[in-house]
Amino acid sequence: MHSYGPDFPDEPVLLATGLVKQFAGRRVVDGVDLCCQAGQVLGLLGANGAGKTTTLRMCYGFLQPDAGTIRIAGIDRRADPEAAARQTGVCTQDDTFDTDFTVSGNLKQMSRYFRPRPTAVKARIAALLERFGLDRYAQAKPDVLSGGYRRRLMIARALIHQPKLLFLDEPTTGLDPQARLEVWELIDTLRREGLGIVLTTHYMEEAERLSGELLILREGRVVAAGQSRAVLGDLIGEHMLVLDAHDPAMPAVCAWVRQAGLPEPARVLSNVHLALDGPGLAQFSSQFGDLRFEVRPPTLDDLFLKLAKKP
Amino acid sequence: MTSHYRAALQWQSRAVLGRHLTVYRRNWHTAALPPLLEPIILLLAFGVGLGGFIPELTWREQPVSYLAYLAPGMLAYTAFMTAFFQALFAAYIRMHYQKTWEGQLITQVRLEHVVWGEVLWAATLGTVYALIVTLVLAGFSLSGWLHLHWMNAFLVLPLLFLAALAFATLGLLFTAIVPSIDHMNIPFFLVIMPLGFASSTYFPMEGDSLWSVAWLALNPLHHLAEGIRLLLLANALNYHLVAACGLFVLMILILVPVDERLLRRRVLGES
Repeated sequence: MHSYGPDFPDEPVLLATGLVKQFAGRRVVDGVDLCCQAGQVLGLLGANGAGKTTTLRMCYGFLQPDAGTIRIAGIDRRADPEAAARQTGVCTQDDTFDTDFTVSGNLKQMSRYFRPRPTAVKARIAALLERFGLDRYAQAKPDVLSGGYRRRLMIARALIHQPKLLFLDEPTTGLDPQARLEVWELIDTLRREGLGIVLTTHYMEEAERLSGELLILREGRVVAAGQSRAVLGDLIGEHMLVLDAHDPAMPAVCAWVRQAGLPEPARVLSNVHLALDGPGLAQFSSQFGDLRFEVRPPTLDDLFLKLAKKP
Repeated sequence: MTSHYRAALQWQSRAVLGRHLTVYRRNWHTAALPPLLEPIILLLAFGVGLGGFIPELTWREQPVSYLAYLAPGMLAYTAFMTAFFQALFAAYIRMHYQKTWEGQLITQVRLEHVVWGEVLWAATLGTVYALIVTLVLAGFSLSGWLHLHWMNAFLVLPLLFLAALAFATLGLLFTAIVPSIDHMNIPFFLVIMPLGFASSTYFPMEGDSLWSVAWLALNPLHHLAEGIRLLLLANALNYHLVAACGLFVLMILILVPVDERLLRRRVLGES
């Protein structure tokens, strides 16, 4: 089993500061900082257009930042892009494996795009094929693989040169629950072996289960960072009340919310979601004691709904 | 500025070229059929068949059979068309549909290496196809159908490689700007086909008007075809070969940075 631990344990595998990227005069990423340690999964969350993929693409060298610095395992990406790329593995959102090669051929071909050349490539390919359950498809073309196995190939390909940092851009989008669970297990194993992983996802459960640290982006800026529970508490509140939107008492509830200066409740199908802290919940209960409602902890879905709203 | 050209010699460009070679080697038995059969069919159909109905041409005040006139033109046309076609259609498919470029750009390979890898590959293929045409011409010569200084054809292979490099950079220019694969008909039929034929490849181009003189003076394919023809038919080194070299180098110097800039915008979304 390979260990992905860093050469310099004190240096984060990714340290990005003040990242800025503009497209056609619009700031898509605006002063983002990222830090990922070896053996950690950093989750990047945000609605569509929040700047997650652009941030990721700058970190793995696909795009050049307009401002800011990126250090990969202690290497300045701008000063030595080649050395930084040698320490980086990338699994893009779309399948970008080479359809002219077999599954095994893809791994071999990928190894040719790195210098210093990965050592013992043949043994490494055999180990990756076995580990990712791809050995029985080794001589097949990738197009015949199911969605789950395609993702496995993408991740295996990103690891052929034994990087210290792995970028996963929505790695389980479009997978069925079983395949998603299997990919999660793979990611968690890689993390435990010491690989630093930066992950973007739309699946809230995925972010909660895999990410030790979350970074929430909105319109290119970081609006919250930290462990998932803390981030939710900061951005949403301690409790989430779920009320029937058609309840006759709703106008009174809305008036109370306005009077208390609370953020407007979110309408979700036939329900209304209202975020409250502890004292707020006590006040609400005393005011609307006869009302039927459900209280639950906030989830990342609530956060996403909140982020999707215009400020 | 020099970084645009330095990338041609870096290992990443060779890795991209190597990838294309690996894929081609696997399919060589089917891929080699068109360059082998096309010149045989064209030489038989046009040179022998149609040429039988055409009285001898007067070329540079010398009588010459149509088959002999056609043979050097086919060499130039093959290098031109193969390189252009590869850099246009095949590169576009790799860039847009197969996402091969994106898969390369997440490694230590950068866009300038992808560009040079594509250009070098198109030029290699153009030269290999021209070599196959040369062998076919040698066969026609040895069988007595053609009277050429055909050994000279091997001497022009480096020039054909340079020509193919230049035309590949032109093909990539269109790859960078056409909105979709359907739009490739526009450069192909409005630029490439007319250029391919109106360049002394399949028939003599002459004219006294300012336009035709300028067209022929600035047309690198015309110089290439005429230069090779003089070498193969008259065994004469000539100024067309120098003019062709100069124009091809100029094309490469101008088009490589332009291709890279346009493809950076298209592939990476950067200006």
